[in-house]
Amino acid sequence: MAGAFQILDPRDLIISTENVSNTVWENDSPTLTNYYTSSVQVASSTGQFYYNIYADSNVTGSIQFAIAYCDADGSGSLEYNPNVDGLSPTRTNFGQYRSLILGDEENSFVFGNQSASYFYALPVERSGYKQEILPGTMTLCLSGSGNTEHLYLTDDSKLGGAAVFTEAGRIYNLVSGSAGNVYTGVDSNGWTVNSGSYGWFMPDIGTILLNGPALQGTFADGGINLGTGRNDNTADNNPLKLFNRLNLGGAASTNAGWTLNSQENLSSDFVFVRARADEFNYSTNPSFISGSNGAVVYDNFINDPQVYITSVGLYNNNQELVAVAKLSRPLLKDFTKELLVRVKLDF
Amino acid sequence: MGYLNNQVVTVDAILTTKGRELLARGDGSFNITQFALSDDEIDYTLYNPNNPSGSAYYGEAIQNMPLLEAFPSEQQMLKYKLVTLPRDTAVMPTVGIDNTLIKLAQTGTTTITPQTFNYLSETEPSGYSFTVSDVRQFSSVVGNGIDTPQANDLNSESLKTNGTDVSKTVIGTSCTLRATGVSTLFGNVGSATSTLYSLLTIVGLDSGARLQVPINITRTTAS
Repeated sequence: MAGAFQILDPRDLIISTENVSNTVWENDSPTLTNYYTSSVQVASSTGQFYYNIYADSNVTGSIQFAIAYCDADGSGSLEYNPNVDGLSPTRTNFGQYRSLILGDEENSFVFGNQSASYFYALPVERSGYKQEILPGTMTLCLSGSGNTEHLYLTDDSKLGGAAVFTEAGRIYNLVSGSAGNVYTGVDSNGWTVNSGSYGWFMPDIGTILLNGPALQGTFADGGINLGTGRNDNTADNNPLKLFNRLNLGGAASTNAGWTLNSQENLSSDFVFVRARADEFNYSTNPSFISGSNGAVVYDNFINDPQVYITSVGLYNNNQELVAVAKLSRPLLKDFTKELLVRVKLDF
Repeated sequence: MGYLNNQVVTVDAILTTKGRELLARGDGSFNITQFALSDDEIDYTLYNPNNPSGSAYYGEAIQNMPLLEAFPSEQQMLKYKLVTLPRDTAVMPTVGIDNTLIKLAQTGTTTITPQTFNYLSETEPSGYSFTVSDVRQFSSVVGNGIDTPQANDLNSESLKTNGTDVSKTVIGTSCTLRATGVSTLFGNVGSATSTLYSLLTIVGLDSGARLQVPINITRTTAS
């Protein structure tokens, strides 16, 4: 047996998938407590549709999520054309999410047991949630205008009921509570008194919908008296109103901000590289030989060669180097030692 | 580029540029079927068989060295492979060719026939892998003399440059190179160069012996 290449046994190639959960927000922080907008983006044409939210005041980092106000009647924003009633950015937003989530234009958004014609969509940046947002981990703090009354929202996935499936995958109700634990002080389901649940938690599209009428109610009814404006052909700046309540919630004394985790399935190739005692004991390294005739550099290397492994190369059938693995320190190999290296390639 | 933490033994694995290219093709050519080991970065002159502390310390200057992270270029990794040879091997196999520099005119052709010294035979039974470092500089790279599915697969592939300097490997007992006829690689008028530089790496598939030879391609068409 001679040579530099070793055929891998099929049993040495393992494909595995593991479930990895992680934080969503910038800097691996589990909780976002400070929210910032970009004045440039808000003033631009996209600001009529949504506000991008950043984690730092310089808005130099990545976008964390967005706030889009959606209204079936097109209220709360200026119409595209004053002569065409009801067609405005908020109406476009509503249609977009209805198409994405409900599919059929005949369906309506029913949060808990109440239908709503306006809501806020908070799509999380894809690079943050990776594959999906993890149900049962969310706590979102919204504050009343005086920052003395705080509303904590979570999803009801831990209640054990099966998720409702829509065109956008799984849907859980947003309820009062934290980290998946439901607060039943106002309603036995964790909903509001009169407006159903607080919205939908949709892990597969990384988005939550906040039920507009639910937030509009008084604190006794389970709301935060948000003051959403629904005036015809008027820029009511509703995303700004929710943004302000998020910021107040970020300054709450307990459970401040928005806590959320992501989840993804990571597929990995595991390659087990085995060098047996009588294999790979000589080197083609120029410093392993002396002179031009190829003689090994030290006499004792003739009978007892000592080589130091630093790299593993993985090749395809055509002996093209497709992946490399580098050891963190040289490993001694001789005729009395065997080596087993596990190389993990993530995709 | 950075150093790996050598306080614990870990393995830092990445895809090479070639691996990414093959993965993107999606035709199954990425499949890993074999491996090789190397001792890149090791300087065996640091091994001290006269260490007064005894044989356990002969390699102390090597074993404690920090190693660099893996490079994505397949040309810069696995340069010096470890090979399996019978015990008591006193001289290592080496690969040689007639020239220390391959000179080609634009569209010129040459055939490289390596020989292996200090080995079972001068021409290795499994042949040699020939890798050109920049495929853009050649209109054809063909391996001759080996009739295996792998060698035929590599020869049958048309040269795909994608406009980038990826490598190209063929297998054979000899290799025929034809320099590119494309003049734009030499640059524009004014900043044009008269010569393209690349590298041919020859590896004996049985012995693991390796040789790198520079290639110069000279412009013959007017700029």
